[in-house]
Amino acid sequence: MALYITDVCTSCGKCEPLCPNEAISQASDIYVIDPDKCQECQGVYDSPRCASVCPVHCCVKVKEG
Amino acid sequence: MSHEPKTFERKDYQGAIAPKWCPGCGNHGIFKSLTKVYAQLQIPPEKIAVISGIGCSSRLPYYLHTYGFHTLHGRAPTVALGVKVAHPELSVWIISGDGDALAIGGNHFIHFFRHNPDVKLVLFNNQVYGLTKGQASPTSVLQQKTATTPAGVQERPLQAASLALAAGASFVARTIDTHLDHVEAMLLAAARHKGAALVEVLTNCVIFNDGAFTDVEDPVRAADHVVSLRDGEPMVYGKEGELVLKWSDKGELITSNRNADASESWCYDSRSISPTMAYALSQADGRNGPLPIGVLWQREIPTYPVLQTETGSKVEQTMALERILAGSQSWKVSAR
Repeated sequence: MALYITDVCTSCGKCEPLCPNEAISQASDIYVIDPDKCQECQGVYDSPRCASVCPVHCCVKVKEG
Repeated sequence: MSHEPKTFERKDYQGAIAPKWCPGCGNHGIFKSLTKVYAQLQIPPEKIAVISGIGCSSRLPYYLHTYGFHTLHGRAPTVALGVKVAHPELSVWIISGDGDALAIGGNHFIHFFRHNPDVKLVLFNNQVYGLTKGQASPTSVLQQKTATTPAGVQERPLQAASLALAAGASFVARTIDTHLDHVEAMLLAAARHKGAALVEVLTNCVIFNDGAFTDVEDPVRAADHVVSLRDGEPMVYGKEGELVLKWSDKGELITSNRNADASESWCYDSRSISPTMAYALSQADGRNGPLPIGVLWQREIPTYPVLQTETGSKVEQTMALERILAGSQSWKVSAR
């Protein structure tokens, strides 16, 4: 149970400070979500916070491809 | 021993400093698209010069590993023209914003397209002055509340694409920051065009004008609010592609339902002889009808002459320049 950031990510950094579990960090090219920390915001927000604020909608539930 | 030609990746164009725009700013996406286009075209980083004016947009050259010049407010086109004349082998790009290009730099913007140098102008339009904390810009919309317009903007906004067409631009395109593939396609088309190109990118300012473009940025809502122009195809939009933008008998752009309207749809042609249709589309701002994005107009016309490469050595040119500057009627004033 975790979200995943696709390579569409523009590294804008909007999601990182908003994650309640501090699961998001900047990697070399894009931001990444630590699947061990991500709980899809259950019990905190109605929907995953990163997905709802991402301007390019690249925080997805299932790894694409 | 064979020498494989070096291939460049996107990161080869990125500088040592990570972009310092606000988290969520649309500029991040434009930056990514620009570096992807450079990699796609395999232009060596040392063959690129990126010239900017003043504003949030104009910080971009710092984040690139190419030549760059953060110039005076509104004056990037003049510096870029100089760079292109002196070094025609360079791929020269201008990064500007709605305030930089259309307010203080409005005059230079016009003459840039009149000169038609082989230089690409990427205009980041967020409809507000972000760097100086939220004053109204020439593209701010009617009733928009800003730091300098607490009761709302009273003037009609300027359309950058319309102004460029009026100035005789040879390539005019419009795109939206979150439609990354489209931004990339427009930058690529501009790069391949021989002459001055305008790529206007609507970009969201998350701090001072957040949500200004939600209807056209959101992938679900965009279907009903954006027409993506494609040569040889009707201007279709809507979730099911059920709507079409048409040219009425009265010379207006109107929306028609394809299921109810049996008449044949007019197909778009960015290379049409007259810019009349392109002008009408450039005026459509997405508030009363869909927002047209794509290459609005393009044509092949002579680019700004670069005589230096054609005749004479550098020394001869310098001497010729001195003769021109001195003219036939000049005097030397000496102290007695």
